[in-house]
Amino acid sequence: MYIPEYYEFCCRVNMVAGHDALEKIPELLVSMGASNPMVLTDKGVRAAGLVDILITAMADKLCIKTIEDEVPPDSDLKVVNRLAGVYREKGCDAIIAIGGGSVLDTAKGINILVSENSDDLLQFTGAGALKRKLKPLIAIPTTAGTGSEVTIAAVIADHEKNRKMIFGSYFLLPDVAIIDSRMTLTLPVHITAATAMDAMAHAVESFVMLSKNPLSDAHATEAIGLICRHLPRVIQDPQDKEGRLALATAATLAGIAFSNATVGMVHALGHSVGSVCHVPHGTCMAILLPYGLEYNCHKVEERIADLLLPLAGADLYTRTPQKDRAAAAIACIRQLNRDLNQSTGGAHAVCFKDIKDREGNLSVPENSLPQIAQTALGDGTLFYNPEDMDYDDCLRVLQAAWEGIPLNTRTSKESQR
Amino acid sequence: METFVEIKPGRKPLQRIYLGTMLWFVGRAIQAAARVDNQVKKEFQSMPPNYTFSLGAFPNGPYMVVGKNDRGKATYLGGDLSKQPVDLEMTLKSMEHLFVLFTFRESTPTANSRDRMIVNGDVPQACAAVRILDIVQVYLLPKFIARLAIKRYPKWSLKRHTLDRTLILIRTLIGI
Ligand SMILES: [Fe+2]
Repeated sequence: MYIPEYYEFCCRVNMVAGHDALEKIPELLVSMGASNPMVLTDKGVRAAGLVDILITAMADKLCIKTIEDEVPPDSDLKVVNRLAGVYREKGCDAIIAIGGGSVLDTAKGINILVSENSDDLLQFTGAGALKRKLKPLIAIPTTAGTGSEVTIAAVIADHEKNRKMIFGSYFLLPDVAIIDSRMTLTLPVHITAATAMDAMAHAVESFVMLSKNPLSDAHATEAIGLICRHLPRVIQDPQDKEGRLALATAATLAGIAFSNATVGMVHALGHSVGSVCHVPHGTCMAILLPYGLEYNCHKVEERIADLLLPLAGADLYTRTPQKDRAAAAIACIRQLNRDLNQSTGGAHAVCFKDIKDREGNLSVPENSLPQIAQTALGDGTLFYNPEDMDYDDCLRVLQAAWEGIPLNTRTSKESQR
Repeated sequence: METFVEIKPGRKPLQRIYLGTMLWFVGRAIQAAARVDNQVKKEFQSMPPNYTFSLGAFPNGPYMVVGKNDRGKATYLGGDLSKQPVDLEMTLKSMEHLFVLFTFRESTPTANSRDRMIVNGDVPQACAAVRILDIVQVYLLPKFIARLAIKRYPKWSLKRHTLDRTLILIRTLIGI
């Protein structure tokens, strides 16, 4: 096991997980001195009936002051300001955020304004601007993937001034994360596959990148094992409650791992494909993950070899000689992608050229790869990648991932002289 | 009575002189490289007009500041943070951490991954600044030391290794 000379690890979110975890919310709020929550969500989550599940679970034990579902897919400063007004008007004293990353980021923004009694979010940007505890915030993730319920950052876009405000503070963490299997039970299979592969990418990247440490490793390997054991089964049987809970748990574990050990080039390239071509994040992660490992393999082969154990289980791990383990681990992830591709009837793409929009056009046209490569060079997660990446490297990886052919690892090694 | 020169604990004057010299070299070398090396030139072109960035140690330095002047040329602006607004600050959390970095016991990526550095500014520019610093280190340092400081020793043309390097070293020393 790799023990760095110095590392930091922190996770202070209270987790409540189960098939009926929602029912615990009234009690949790009382313990935090609150009883009048605002429920924050988006239209999609509401239409999927997830807010109704929450309301039914609360029965008469909790008075929900207001339910706001106007959160756009991309968090927005104007929405934050308006909802902070609603929070004050209705006399709320806590926020329950039910949804994905954007809902939670919006909730964090509102929480800053109402707790600091301010109208100007800009004052609190950057790291360390918040000095004290905010109002109670409960997060209920509805996709088992992002892990945003345990990350300290929030990004809120100011669309008028065309800029993004980034906030970072332990005070932004939700007080409680509720992991309830009912929240992901109705998630369509291809989205389940993509979001689970996002969680997989968080776990795998945190395990091989530069800031890994024994505590993040423990979370990462457990997450990988859970995903490998349960994802194929959940895709076969989406109503598998245990499987759903296992995947949601894995996403949280992976979230804890990467928020303490960061991600690397898979996310740098994935963010860029997402921003240039608007492909869902999880899909990019699934496609790019094997390439991220191949690219770094000559630098961190031992770490990748260790991944074979959670990926394939003890049997295959012990049968595989040490020198072949890294390659076997990468092959395992490719195989998982292929299996998911089959079981979702092709909806889970294994290379970029296979992703098509509704009209049947390529979502990632080959001539967009140079722009994606250029964008990736400005992504901070590259700092944490074991091997350096320049424009040509990014393009080479993207090209291979576009066609779906393995990366020529000799080239990566040769540029290292 | 004897008079004592009081040495305040924690000040480490020698370390400070060493780091100040190194930063002075790096700052002037960036200015020189931006005039000779195409890649560094390009990185500066991608930055907004009058963009400035600094490297140094919290809380009292030493620092170095580099920026684009009115004509868009990269210029070493000295070691004083307060003389001009700085758009991107790369600050090691203590002089000790900067010393470990500049004695090549820890690479920049390792220092960053161990949370020894605070980066305050836009991320794309921070990435560009790190690439500039990497290139300059390859110019300034012998290969066996540069390899400790950066992730990958680059494959450069012979001209870059010899002619460009000589030009940059001369320009760094005389400051043009
Ligand atoms: Fe992700």
